[in-house]
Order: sequence, then structure tokens, then C-alpha cells
Amino acid sequence: MDEPTFIRHAVDGDTAAWEALMRAHQEAVFRLAYLIVGDPDDAEDVAQETFLRAWKHLRGFDATRLLRPWLLSIASNLSSNRRRSAGRYFAALTRAFRDEPAPATVEDKSSEKSQADELWKAVQKLNMQDQQIVYLRYFLNLPIAEAAQVLQVAEGTIKSRLSRALEKLREIINHDFPLLQEGYKA
Amino acid sequence: MNELEQELFEKRLISIAGGLEYPRTPDIAGSVTARLRPVTRPRFPSKALASSMTVILVLCSSLMLIPPARAAIIEFIQIGIVRIFPPDLEPTPGLTPTPTPMSGAQMPITATAAPQASDLIPVLGQIAGETTLLNAQDRVNYSILLPTYPSDLGDPDYVFVQNAEGDMTILVWLDPQDPDEVRMSLHFIPEGSWAIDKMKPQIVEETTVNGQRAVWTVGPYPLRFYTGELEFTRLIEGHVLIWAEGEITYRIETDLSLEEAIKVAESLEPVP
Repeated sequence: MDEPTFIRHAVDGDTAAWEALMRAHQEAVFRLAYLIVGDPDDAEDVAQETFLRAWKHLRGFDATRLLRPWLLSIASNLSSNRRRSAGRYFAALTRAFRDEPAPATVEDKSSEKSQADELWKAVQKLNMQDQQIVYLRYFLNLPIAEAAQVLQVAEGTIKSRLSRALEKLREIINHDFPLLQEGYKA
Repeated sequence: MNELEQELFEKRLISIAGGLEYPRTPDIAGSVTARLRPVTRPRFPSKALASSMTVILVLCSSLMLIPPARAAIIEFIQIGIVRIFPPDLEPTPGLTPTPTPMSGAQMPITATAAPQASDLIPVLGQIAGETTLLNAQDRVNYSILLPTYPSDLGDPDYVFVQNAEGDMTILVWLDPQDPDEVRMSLHFIPEGSWAIDKMKPQIVEETTVNGQRAVWTVGPYPLRFYTGELEFTRLIEGHVLIWAEGEITYRIETDLSLEEAIKVAESLEPVP
């Protein structure tokens, strides 16, 4: 069965079909939520809520469209809301005190993981709109067209937003993350 | 940034971002599918009781703003991380409102304000952190134990793991004869958690579980809901047996007798 067929079955109340669709997309939804909220437990909550909401509104979804952008759109909104909530703020504060990372060693800093963590920190300095587009395009590797569907804007808008977000990100990196500067200057 | 610079920068971003280590994706599909099963509403405390508990909580929270009253509440029974205020420890005379069996409470050390009436009417589907038993055991750094008594109890119907400065596990069993009712819940609260029992119990009877000091009490408990808020709630109209072993504080909520609850507590075994 292809995705539209699974969706039609799910619309008819077939939870097994919906479970298959969830399994196909749960990783992308969870990862986007994790990138935005920064906590695996919160991300799991968001991902579950995403699929529950999608199930509730599935009847209104056009089954000829791809499901993933719609799911990521819901997840992105829920994650942003959660990040703004007071509860999330409190959790972040407590984590900041509890989990203050030790300074990275020279060896750590040279590792891919460390660079990726540094990049994530740099992206977190962008505003939420810019963060979302960077996560979708460069962390989840979504094509421009799909990122546009997630954010419900035209492809041209995505391109111009990306360009501005990249300018800001490069400034942040140049200013605060020298480790990341190598390798992109023409 | 010219076109070439942007292209190089994008390539570099994709390359670096590809090295990010994500947590293992949990079984979200399984959890959601379980939540989509028809769930009947468990039995909860009556609205009258919920309302009176709310009044008491608000009253007590206000009371704790008054230094003499706060100073009066200095003694408590400490079982693991749970503090129980004995019934004979009343706040300063004159400051106490109409006496009730559950009067007197410690100001919640939580991120939220005093609960509203609706907070006391829980729905299992709204409690955050639902997971499976296996996933819960993978996540927490202590052994999740299951009661082997009563013999027909089986695995819990619901499993939640909530972060409360340490992962607190909550197991919930529904009554198989009447799935509208919660038969029993069991909390595992790790050392260092702020999840301290706030309410002075209606009944305090000291007892023992496996030779460890324990108390038999009643009262709501803070749980995190999907809204992100901490809410005081009870899952069952019954009593609560609290005891500690090692670094874990256990809390069984049940409508069984004390003797039966102790048998349940003493029957805990690691998940096979």
C-alpha cells in the first residue's frame, strides 16, 4: 500500500494504518521537536501530541499531499509553543544549573559531534522562525519545496528567509563560535 | 555573502549538522496507538471532595505566607523523600480555618500556583510521560519492580515516566472487572526529586514494609500533565502507603486495606 492508501484507511478509523504511518514519520517528528525544545522527554511528549492531533484532524487532510510536511508543521508549532511555556522555561532553568557542561577538551572540540553540538548552540541564538527553517533545511535535510510546505509559505519566501537566516548564523558563528569557521569561506 | 560563499556555507552546515547525535527515537507510534484505544474514564474523587480539597489547598497555601504559621509547621515524618505532617501538628491557633481532616500543608515547591478545581479532576490520557514498561526501564536508572501480589494483577495498564529532578515512574492498574476504576497506582520516586508529598494526611498510621518504616495516609500528589503544568491529583479514592528502600521512595495508592497494601508492597519483584 502507498501512503495515500494508508491515509484513507486511517481516515476510516483504521488505527493499524495510522500506526504504520506514524512509524514511517516518527523519527523526523521526534528529531524536529528535539531540536526545538532541546529535551528528549519534552520532544517525546510533543511528538505524541503531534500524532494525536493529526489523527483527530485527519479527515480534513488532503490525502494526495505528502503527510510528512503536515506532521512537521504541527510538530514545529507545538514545539515552539512548548518552548515558550512557563513550564518549559522552568525546566530549562533547572537543567541549566544541573547540567552545565564541562568545558570541552581539545580532543572533544575536534570531534564531529562536538562541532555539531556547537552548531546547534549557534542556531539556538537565532529567532524561532530562523531556527525552524535552518533545522528543516540543514538538520533534517528537507528539500526547499517540502520546507515551504511545512512552514506554509512559497518556495521563494523560503529561499529569501534562508538567505537572511544564513547571514545571521554566519555572524553568530564568526563572533561566538570560531571552531565552526573553517571550511566555508570562499 | 555571495552565491559561492552561501553554497559553501550551506554544504558546511549540512556536513556538521549530520554529526549531531539525537537521542534514540522512542516508540511514539506504539504509545499513541495505545492512547487511541477506547479508554473509559477511571473513577475519580467526587467533585465535592475535589472542591473541598481545592479550598483546603488554597487556604493552606495562603496560611503558609504567614510566618508564624510557617514556623509552626516544622516537624514531619520523613519517609525517603516524602514528608508527612502528623495530624496532631496543627498550625498556630487562630490562624487555622474551619478544621478539616486534611488541614495543614506545606507550600508546594513547584513551578505552578495553587491548583484550581479543575486540576483535581485528572484524566489518565492527559498525564504526561506515558510510555511502555520496557521503555520506562530503559530510561530510568533504578529497577522498576512489579507486585506479585495479588496474583491476578499482571502488568500495569499505564506506565508514565515524569522528570521531577530525577525520573519518577508511575504504574497504573485498572480494575479488570470495571475498567472505569483505577485499581492501584505505584510511584517510584528517586532520591533528590522535589516530588515531596505536600498534604498533611487524613490518616497517619506508622507501619513497616520489609522492616522499613512506612506510613499509611491519603492525599493528592503532584503529577505533570501534557499542558506542562504540575497538578495535584489522586488517581484513586483510597489510601496511600509510603516507604523507602535504598534511594527509591515508593508510594502505593490503593483502596485495599493496610494489611493488603503491605502484602502488595512486600511482593515487589524486578520486571522479569
